[in-house]
Amino acid sequence: MLTHLKLRHLRCFEVAACQPGNGTTVFLGENAQGKTSILEAVCVAMRLQSPRTANLADLIRFGEKEFAVSATLAGQELLFGYSGNRRRMTIDSETMRSSGDYLRQSALVVWMSNDDMALVRGGSEGRRRFLDFLGSQLHPPYRPALRDYERALRARNFLLKRDAYPRWDQIDAYTRVLAEHAAILTRLRRELVARLEPFAAEVQAEVSGRAEPLGLVYEAAGGDRLEEVLAGFRDEESRKRGTAAGPHRDDFGITLHGMAASRFASEGQQRTTALALKIGQARLFLAESRRPPLLLLDDIFGELDPGRRNALMAALPVHSQKLITTTHLDWLRDHLQPESVYEVTRGMVAPGT
Amino acid sequence: MNLEYPTALQSLILHLKRLPGIGSRSAERMSLWLLQQPVGTLAALSEVLVQVEQEIKPCASCGFFATREGCAICQAPDRDPRLLCIVEQPTDILPIERTGAFRGHYHALGGRLAPLDNVGPEDLRIGELMDRIRTGEFEEVVLATGADVAGEATANYLAEILRSSNVRLTRLAQGMPVGGGLDTADSLTLHRAFQHRRNLSHDA
Repeated sequence: MLTHLKLRHLRCFEVAACQPGNGTTVFLGENAQGKTSILEAVCVAMRLQSPRTANLADLIRFGEKEFAVSATLAGQELLFGYSGNRRRMTIDSETMRSSGDYLRQSALVVWMSNDDMALVRGGSEGRRRFLDFLGSQLHPPYRPALRDYERALRARNFLLKRDAYPRWDQIDAYTRVLAEHAAILTRLRRELVARLEPFAAEVQAEVSGRAEPLGLVYEAAGGDRLEEVLAGFRDEESRKRGTAAGPHRDDFGITLHGMAASRFASEGQQRTTALALKIGQARLFLAESRRPPLLLLDDIFGELDPGRRNALMAALPVHSQKLITTTHLDWLRDHLQPESVYEVTRGMVAPGT
Repeated sequence: MNLEYPTALQSLILHLKRLPGIGSRSAERMSLWLLQQPVGTLAALSEVLVQVEQEIKPCASCGFFATREGCAICQAPDRDPRLLCIVEQPTDILPIERTGAFRGHYHALGGRLAPLDNVGPEDLRIGELMDRIRTGEFEEVVLATGADVAGEATANYLAEILRSSNVRLTRLAQGMPVGGGLDTADSLTLHRAFQHRRNLSHDA
């Protein structure tokens, strides 16, 4: 349980602090006041990454050199500070040498926002990021494998672009490194999608209120045998000057009644499917770790009709702590009584009424 | 007009600032500390610096630190001339030496492949390596570059270009940390430990 949160020099905040309740905490405020940044800070303190940006330097307040966020979780104080070239991770003032050591003691997080529709309708990059966010939380090997894969990929792509004629002797030195990490990522992603599917399908049925069979199909881009696969892409790689296959091209298909949800589902169905993926994630986390994940819900209710809203609230894991941002509170009171309400106004957080 | 340190002192600060890990503030503090030392200390220091510059040169053959008398590794009579260990930096040699597990010769590449930092094969001592292997009597070449992405890529590259030469190529094993339980090994280490597991049933 998250009991205290403190941020310093993060996004629009000079300093801010709050004490989330054990059920639901609401951050109330107009748009562009900093509500989302509070949830983002929680996500960074828990998972060392932001759902809004790949570059943590974006979180440093304008004119400052570093930001810090500390969170008290089950009595332990987690602190993360970042200054562009240095990061500091401590738990109860003890410095953690690796992010793995830090993350092991942190909570699992589910992030839900309006952008989730892009999981169903948008390009494959959003879905890969979703898998990465799940994978790094559930499987300790995922994060280092992804990091090393991306390193090798950058070097390999650079070599493919650098010379007038590709120097395959140098490129292939990276192909093998790439393939080793690709195999790990591919295996973990395949497992992940297979385990997520039943949970997401269950939620889809609950929220839509009828039989709407949801399917998730992992589409690996050759990561199982990447060295062999890339050997067949020599000509294409020479022309296009980029690595032609591998986990950076992975995707997973989402189907309703066996048909691609992106093309054949109605907007309402797609909205439900996006919720199903995220709540399915929460249920998967609960099932795999036996701990209810922390739910960060960023202004997701405005776009939902009352029926889906009710179904969503009913489908969220009961024992999960929930942090919610919203512009108005009225409707929420119909569903639950928040333990604490904070008002967020121009980078200030104050207990609300 | 702003008052500044005298030129000589400024110049000392500038020189110290170029040392790795030293910023302007540390360089300033070091300079002031040096100034406060008893007479003769700095002369002794500068003498040592000059001596190091004149006497220590990288060995033209292996890349280790050699003196006027030559290279302590290449000239040692009791080393196995059939074994060659390739490392990234000359500083990697001493840790291996301290283990006592290897009594062959070394070859320091002077770095590793890092295309994004503009370090390619032509920047490493690979030509020298090929010459040594061609003219020497090496039977086994151990690739002891690092186990991260750049180290692995460098090892793969060398393995490929050495494939045609008539030597046995080996790579340092990766696996279980000695003295540790399974729970202390990170997952990739454990993964590799499984891939490179040894046979205990007969010829162990």
